[in-house]
Amino acid sequence: MKATSFPEILAPAGSLDKLKVAVLYGANAVYVGGQKFGLRTAAENFTLDELREGVAFAHARGAQVYVVLNSFLHDKDLVELPSFVEFLSEIKVDAVIVSDLGVVKTVRDLSIIPIHISTQASTLNVESAKLWKKMGATRIVLGREVSIKEAGKIKREAEIEIEMFIHGSMCMAYSGHCVISNFTQGRDSNRGGCAHSCRFEYSLDMGLSTMEKKKVFFMSSKDLEGIRLLPEFINEGIDSLKIEGRMKSNLYAGTMSKVYSEALNFYKEHGHFYSDSLLEWEAELNKVSHRAYTEAALVEKAGADSIFNERENVESEWQLVGTVVEASLKSGIIIEVRNAFNQGDKLEIVPFKGSAREVVAHEIMDLSMRPVQRTKPTTLVRLPYIEGIEAFNLVRQQVVSK
Amino acid sequence: MKMTTYAQSLHDLSVLKEAGLDEVILAHESLSRFGKLSTPEILKLVARAKELHLQVYLEWDILMTQNVFESALPVVLELLPSIDGIRVQDPGALHWVIENLDTKIHFIAENGNHNITALETWISLSKGKLERIVLSLELSKSTIEDYVKRLSVPCELLGFGRILLFYTPRALLSPLAPEKIAQNSELVALGESEESPHKGFPIVENRHGTFMFHIKEFCLIEFAQELKEFGLKYLRVDLRWTDFSYLLRLSQLIQVFNSEEFDHFKQEYPQDLMRGFYLVNKTDVLFPKLKNGRLQKREGNYLGEVMEAEKGSHLAIMVKNSRGIKKSDKLSILHPEGKTFEVSIHSLKNSALEEVEEIPQNKLAVIQFVGGVWVKSQVFLS
Repeated sequence: MKATSFPEILAPAGSLDKLKVAVLYGANAVYVGGQKFGLRTAAENFTLDELREGVAFAHARGAQVYVVLNSFLHDKDLVELPSFVEFLSEIKVDAVIVSDLGVVKTVRDLSIIPIHISTQASTLNVESAKLWKKMGATRIVLGREVSIKEAGKIKREAEIEIEMFIHGSMCMAYSGHCVISNFTQGRDSNRGGCAHSCRFEYSLDMGLSTMEKKKVFFMSSKDLEGIRLLPEFINEGIDSLKIEGRMKSNLYAGTMSKVYSEALNFYKEHGHFYSDSLLEWEAELNKVSHRAYTEAALVEKAGADSIFNERENVESEWQLVGTVVEASLKSGIIIEVRNAFNQGDKLEIVPFKGSAREVVAHEIMDLSMRPVQRTKPTTLVRLPYIEGIEAFNLVRQQVVSK
Repeated sequence: MKMTTYAQSLHDLSVLKEAGLDEVILAHESLSRFGKLSTPEILKLVARAKELHLQVYLEWDILMTQNVFESALPVVLELLPSIDGIRVQDPGALHWVIENLDTKIHFIAENGNHNITALETWISLSKGKLERIVLSLELSKSTIEDYVKRLSVPCELLGFGRILLFYTPRALLSPLAPEKIAQNSELVALGESEESPHKGFPIVENRHGTFMFHIKEFCLIEFAQELKEFGLKYLRVDLRWTDFSYLLRLSQLIQVFNSEEFDHFKQEYPQDLMRGFYLVNKTDVLFPKLKNGRLQKREGNYLGEVMEAEKGSHLAIMVKNSRGIKKSDKLSILHPEGKTFEVSIHSLKNSALEEVEEIPQNKLAVIQFVGGVWVKSQVFLS
C-alpha cells in the first residue's frame, strides 16, 4: 500500500546561520533555542531579533520553526517565561517543545502556540501520550527507547502527532532521568548544564577475581542512524523525523537535512527508496563526524552492540573547509575558512540540491585579491565563480591521513 | 511527620513495626526499579503486614515502553485487591491508574518538577485520587517549605537513602562480564573516572536496566525536626542497600534528634552521607561561564560580525541586520574579550572591493582596519 502522508524532516539549528543552512538544504522544519529555557546552554542560540529573522526566513521557504523550552524549570526560571511566550506568539513560531508540566500549563494559559512534548519528558507509552494530550499537547517527541512499531501504536491509540529521532547522538539514560552532572559537577543537566559524564572512561570493579578493574566507556551510546528504516517510519505514520544536534556544525546541519530530505523525496516519488542512491546517502552521512552508528531501539530493545565503548576522538574522513558567504561573477566564491586548505587541493562544494561539485583550488585569492597558496582558518578567501554555487553552500575536503 | 520505608522480608516487617511505622512500601520485581519480590512473596508480606496493621503501598516506578507497560498490567491487577495504594512515576502509569482504578495514588514527582505550577497541575489532573506526592530531592529547604504549605495533598521526601543519578533500560554491565550473568539476576560494580573527582559510584544492572548511584547517601535526618515544622507529612527511609536494622536508630533520631547519637551513627554507617541541595541549590550558577556572553550580545543596534581582520588592510563585516550598513554610520565594535572600539567608517567597499555608500543584509562590508579588533568581534551601530 502506498503511503499517503509523509513525515517532515526536522533539523537542529543551534544558530541563525545553521537555521538557514538546514532550511536551504531541505529541512521541512527546524528546532531552535532562545537564550534561556533550553537544554543547550553552551550553544550559540538565538537572540530575539534572530528568532524573528529565523522564523521569517523559514516561513518564506515553507519551513516551520519550533522553539525549545525543554528545561525542567525552577520557580524563579518560570517567572521569566510569560514574556518570552508572548514574544514567540507575536513572531508566529510554529510550536514550542516542552518537557515540564509547569511550562506546558504556562504556554497553554498564555498562548495558542502548539505544544510538542520533548523527548526529555520520556514519553514511552499510550497512556502517557494520552495524559499529555489532555494537557494540551499536539505532538509527542517519544523517548528514544520506543520502537517504531510501538510508536505507531501510540499514535493510533492516543490519536496524537508523533515525532521520533532518526539520527544523532543519544543519551544513554532515559532522557530527563540523569542527574550525574547535578550532583557531581554542580551543573543542572536538565536546565542545560549536562557535563556528558556518560562519555567518560570509567574503571569498573565488578568483583571479578580473574580481572583487574576494567577501564571502559560503558555508559557511552553509539549514534543513532535510522535511514534504512525510513519505510517503517512512513508505514507507521510517524509525523516527524528528528535529527539531533543543535551543538553541531553547519556541515552536520546541512548534510543531515540534505540526505534525509532527498531520501524522503525519493520515497515520495518512487514508493520505495532502495536504489544506488541509498549507498550514496549513507556515504554522505559518513562524511560528517560521528560515533559508530546504531539503530538503537528503533526495531528491538537496544543491545550490547549499541554501546560505543570508545574514547571521544571521533574523526571523520571529511572535514568542513568552510561555508560560502557570497558568490557572484564579480566577487567570485567567497569562503569563510574553518579548516586550512592549499592551492591545488581537491574540494567539494555541496549545492542545496543534487550531487556535490568537485573543485580543484587552482586559484585562491584573499579578500584583497592577492594570490594565496595556503589558506588560514578565520580568514576569507576567493575561488573563481562557478554557476549554481550560492551563499551558505558548504565546502568540504577529504582528510588526507598522515 | 510519619516515616515510610521498603520491606523485603518478613523480618523487615517486624523491624518496621518495632520502629513505630504504620505503613510499608513493597517493590515487585516486575514493577519496581529495585524490586526483588515475586507475586507470591508480595502476597505473603501483605498478609503479615495486615496482621501488623500496616498500610501497604505497591511501588510501580519503572519507566515503560508500550510493550513493557502491557506486560506490567496483569501483575498490577493481580496485586491490586491486596494493597492500600499504588506508587507510580511513569506519567502513563499515573494516567492509567487515574482512569481505570479506584485506588489511592502516590505520585513520585522526584524527577524534575521543580516548580509549584507543575506540581499543582499534576494534582489537578488526578481527579482527587492523589493521596501523596513525592517531591524531588534536588529541592532546597525554602522551596520544600513553600511547597509543603501550598500543595493541597500531603508531601513525601526522601530522608535517608541512595541517590539515583542515572537510569537506562540498557544492560551495561553484563556485556563486560558475561560469565556473571548465569550466576546473578543482578550485577553490581563500583565505578570511578579520572574525569570526575568522585570515586566508587555504585552501579547496578537488573532486569529493568542499569542504574548508577552517588558515592554518598542522602541524609536529612538532622533536619527532620525542621521538616516536621514545615508540615512535611512523610519522610522516606531506604535501607535496601545496607542493613535494615539501622531503621530503629534512624526512627529514634527522627523522633528526637540527638547530635551526639547522630555523630555515632555517621561513624558507624558504612557509607558517607550528604545533604544534597537541601541548604541551597545553585546548579545554574555556572551556566554563564559555559560560553562567552560577549559573543551573545546581538540585540539592540546589532549590525553584524567581523569575519576577517587583516592587519593594516581591512575589516570584513557580515551585515546581519535588515537595515544594512551605511558609510555615514558610526560603529561600536565589541571585542570577544570585552573591549569596545568606537569607529567612524572612512572606506566602505563591497565584496568586489568597489567603493559604495551602503551594503544590504547578508552581504560582506569591507571597511578600514581597526587595530585591536579580532574576528568574531560583534558590531553595533553607535
